[in-house]
Amino acid sequence: MKRSHQETSVEEAHSIGKKLEDDNNMDEFLSALGYKVRSSDMADVAQKLEQLEVVLSNDDVLDSNALNDTVHYNPSDLSSWAETMLSELNYYPPSLDLDPTRMCNLTPFSDDNECSSTTSDNSSKRIRLGPWCDSSESTRPVVMLGVDSQETGVRLVQALVACAEAVQQENLILADALVKRVGSPAASQAGAMGKVATYFAEALARRIYRIRPSSPAVDPSFEEILQMHFYESCPYLKFAHFTANQAILEAVATARGVHVIDLGINQGMQWPALMQALALRPGGSPSFRLTGVGGPSEGDGIQQLGWKLAQLAQAIGVEFEFKGLTVERLTDLEPEMFETRPESETLVVNSIFELHPVLAKPGSIEKLLATVKEVKPSVVTVVEQEANHNGVVFLERFNEALHYYSSLFDSLEDGVIIPSQDRVMSEVYLGRQILNVVAAEGTDRIERHETLDQWRKRMGSAGFDPVSLGSDAFKQASLLLALSGGGDGYRVEENDGSLMLAWQTKPLIAASAWKVSDVTAEWRR
Amino acid sequence: MKRSASNSVTNGDASNKKMKKTTEEDSEIGFANLDENLLYEVLKHVDARTLATSSCVSKIWHRTAQDERLWELICTRHWANIGCSQHQLRFVVLALGGFKQLHSLYLWPLSSPNQHGRLGKDELKLSLSLLSIRYYEKMNFTKRLP
Repeated sequence: MKRSHQETSVEEAHSIGKKLEDDNNMDEFLSALGYKVRSSDMADVAQKLEQLEVVLSNDDVLDSNALNDTVHYNPSDLSSWAETMLSELNYYPPSLDLDPTRMCNLTPFSDDNECSSTTSDNSSKRIRLGPWCDSSESTRPVVMLGVDSQETGVRLVQALVACAEAVQQENLILADALVKRVGSPAASQAGAMGKVATYFAEALARRIYRIRPSSPAVDPSFEEILQMHFYESCPYLKFAHFTANQAILEAVATARGVHVIDLGINQGMQWPALMQALALRPGGSPSFRLTGVGGPSEGDGIQQLGWKLAQLAQAIGVEFEFKGLTVERLTDLEPEMFETRPESETLVVNSIFELHPVLAKPGSIEKLLATVKEVKPSVVTVVEQEANHNGVVFLERFNEALHYYSSLFDSLEDGVIIPSQDRVMSEVYLGRQILNVVAAEGTDRIERHETLDQWRKRMGSAGFDPVSLGSDAFKQASLLLALSGGGDGYRVEENDGSLMLAWQTKPLIAASAWKVSDVTAEWRR
Repeated sequence: MKRSASNSVTNGDASNKKMKKTTEEDSEIGFANLDENLLYEVLKHVDARTLATSSCVSKIWHRTAQDERLWELICTRHWANIGCSQHQLRFVVLALGGFKQLHSLYLWPLSSPNQHGRLGKDELKLSLSLLSIRYYEKMNFTKRLP
């Protein structure tokens, strides 16, 4: 496992070594610092130092007397010093008295350039393992697993990837054998890793046996419940809503009437906050019209939702109008359906995780974006998962998804203030996405996430220009994350005018805003 | 006023002098029996923590310290102007649950990490958003389709 990792550091070492050879064959830079290391030994020393770092980061070890009792003869000879340290500390994985629920922490580790520095977090036990994605790229992100379940965790991931490889090669007999072997280790693995592995194993099994649909059919109201729990338990949806709202507020700052088309009304959780902000606008609130688009399964629910929002609007003094649009798929939307009033209203189109399912059918996204462009919105807010789960090659998708959902599950795991029911439901919610990404194909596969860069290209070719999200959005997002628990894991990142929510430096959600790149845009109210 | 009343009583019966004296002391500790209006005026100047603690002292104090106007002062005292009028803010916040709730649920947790509990524009905006969401979640809409 450490193979490719070592190879990279060996390459680095050799390149450094070649540059710095002198008569004694000592590394020049290190000798300037007082250390004597032979250039040829560099790789070896690097590896030993890494191992040492890992061992020393374990708190138990620091308490032991071994460190005090060790006698070193020539500390400047790094190679033998490191070796002495390692043997003194009896380089074994530390003791077994860890809290099982915190055993497994799964974090992606960004690429090999940072191999010499560990993450700053020393309270949780993390051990670096080496790239587990054996795809063609040379630098693959590394997955970190908890100390205790190190070996089983590694084997689990290896087994999953091996199974996916077999599926990729259409060797279904092998894949079947492998997936059967993953089942119980996955179930017995504690923490985020175990849960992720279980879902991926199930997804692989469904793919191998061609079980359709990809995930068990559920009542639409259950889907709603799952999403509500996901909303409560982690900041992803809230981040999406708040950031989009901020972009909307900035775009309608001087409007007397606002019309928002929400491409996925769901529970309407985004709109109370927007209405409140409109109510508190200096100079008074504009009128607010909301057109909520939903699927046929939501049926009556949309109307009831409208009533609820209307009540809220009345309570806070915002003139409100609601219309629900039920369509089978977003491409069924036609501009006339929105009944826009361009003379009196500023139009906004909002899409929170609604664009990627449209990619399932070729040509659909172009049609949808053309429809959106035709109604001439002042701003289009788009929030999507920051991942490429839409690659043509299955194995690539699999690896990306494994990485992505491991991060996501890890973020759920870390927050101590999340009540367990919320978390369980959130995991089920995400699990269904996993099943879809891995097991489904064709029009069935709707979780076709694409990265912000990919969306930028699509929006660009559809005739939209990016709108930068202001610093207000950044500040709001940062505050929201501060309130959301999960410690320091969450970060807001700015990416060329768009915002990303990251967990432990891995971006997971990207929020962006767009306007129609049209000359007549300048005369729009 | 109370003192002169007890004085006139003391002037009377000498055997009850001790009892009267304690009554006198009680009335001097009469801060606890402070007139509600006066109490309100005093509480206008305290910080959030003090105001919250005050509501635990006695029934009268509780009633006074729960006053929305006092919490409105706490919420808006240090904030940078978010642009809307006081009246507008009051209307919306009271509709969504009130200043006391706004403070205890959102402003307080947001301000704790800060030194002086400075509540900037961003903290206030975020808290208002969260308050509105909470209100919405707890709503049981009354109108149903026929």
